[in-house]
Amino acid sequence: MTPDMELALEARAENIAIVRHALGGFAEAYAVPESKLADIRLAVTEACANVVVHAYQDGEPGAMEVLASMQDGEMTVRVRDWGRGIRPRPDSPGLGLGLSLIAALAETVQLGHDEAEHTEVRMTFSLQDEPPSMNGHGP
Amino acid sequence: MNGVATSERERATEGVTRLRLADGPLLRPVLCRVVSMVLTRADWPLDRLEDALLVCDALCAHRDESSDGKRLTFSIDADEHEAELRVCELTPESAERLVGQARLPLVGNVLERVAERVTVGPGQAGGGAQLAIVLSGR
Repeated sequence: MTPDMELALEARAENIAIVRHALGGFAEAYAVPESKLADIRLAVTEACANVVVHAYQDGEPGAMEVLASMQDGEMTVRVRDWGRGIRPRPDSPGLGLGLSLIAALAETVQLGHDEAEHTEVRMTFSLQDEPPSMNGHGP
Repeated sequence: MNGVATSERERATEGVTRLRLADGPLLRPVLCRVVSMVLTRADWPLDRLEDALLVCDALCAHRDESSDGKRLTFSIDADEHEAELRVCELTPESAERLVGQARLPLVGNVLERVAERVTVGPGQAGGGAQLAIVLSGR
């Protein structure tokens, strides 16, 4: 399925704010409830932070990509990179809560690689309780 | 679906933000927010930020006649002095049309009034055309 939104940007901490705002625009168009948007933003922020902190070696420039789509009351967000993949890291500077947090906020989480072998975190968020609709065109 | 092309991914590592959106209600809210954030981070003053959003509004308002009705691709590159917003993967005709449709009675062409430069050129990788809009941050 072709995503409704694809955002590619440099994997830098300050760029996560751009991702969060893009998700806000996406949520506005699909009338995603504010509480659900907060969960989505937090989960995607964690996934992007993992890319920024872990995907690329120190000083190595790298890209991250965020793809979002909406289908049948379910929002899918994929965060991917072209770095060294998801692996244990004893010297991790973080608390190690990111993936647990994502798992708690999303309906499903898949870690792995896309069809082109890029590292990918795929999250789905159900909006079934309050069905999304395009602004001005829905119920 | 392979997402953004490799050359564009390389551009992302050079600080260029690349955005590809389904045509429709998604276009305006996402494009305006992303452009706002990129320019805010580049320390642009509020009045110039408003001008940039006016350009985004004009592009979104006329995209129906100029896109293939499925996807629109943008790239945004900014520093404190200048920003370049490109609308990529257009045909030469649709790129020219997008500029022409930004003309308003008594105002003139909004894009050309607000931007430093508006140019239609060949697309990257030799395919199609792109519209490049350069704005000044001061």
